[in-house]
Amino acid sequence: MAFGSGALRVAALVEALTLAALLLNVATVHAAPVSAFLGPLHGAAYLASIALVLTTPGAPRGARLRVLIPGVGGLLAQRRL
Amino acid sequence: MTKLLLSVHVLAAILTIGPVAVVASLFPRYAREALDGTGEADPGVVRVLHRVTRVYAVLGVLVPAFGFATAASLGVLGDAWFLASIALTAAAAALLVGGIVPGQERLLRVVVGPEEPPASWRSEVVRLGMRTGIFNLLWAIVVVLMIVRPGSTTGA
Repeated sequence: MAFGSGALRVAALVEALTLAALLLNVATVHAAPVSAFLGPLHGAAYLASIALVLTTPGAPRGARLRVLIPGVGGLLAQRRL
Repeated sequence: MTKLLLSVHVLAAILTIGPVAVVASLFPRYAREALDGTGEADPGVVRVLHRVTRVYAVLGVLVPAFGFATAASLGVLGDAWFLASIALTAAAAALLVGGIVPGQERLLRVVVGPEEPPASWRSEVVRLGMRTGIFNLLWAIVVVLMIVRPGSTTGA
């Protein structure tokens, strides 16, 4: 599934990068608009990573469990597929 | 900020649910044509229709994610029209993930695979068409709820 793994790569990167940006924002200027926009984007990427892994036929159990980890789950699961 | 969140929510709905509605509606017809040899459909078309359905269904999580953010920013999280929309959206998503995508996968395996189609493939195509019709009806109702917002005191 070359196509599926490409979609997962994007979702996993967005998931990790938006969380990093959210934490950086909280630790520094804590601008409310940044949280309001990146929050839903991070949530969507997290759910998309889970959906992509769980709907991949024959995904190993290790990948299915790892993708549930917040923030870096997508990246961890990607290495197991 | 509400305006930006609402823009992303509406844009995501148009660009993700729209393609799913169109492509999932086309799938049963092209699968039937590929299986009984009528029309011009070939297995590649059926495969692409399934891919678009699956990927845009996943991208569709953007819509409720930004929908919740918009509702929170508007302070309407407890409104009846909003709660009804959540229930209908959840039903539509469950139908898509649990009924439409797996149904397409089963038919696609028969269309592209070496195995002979089972005798029941025609009723499988009809069931898939019915599920897709219900999905389209559900999200159309949600769109109307978003615009009419019964019981709301803001807007038209």
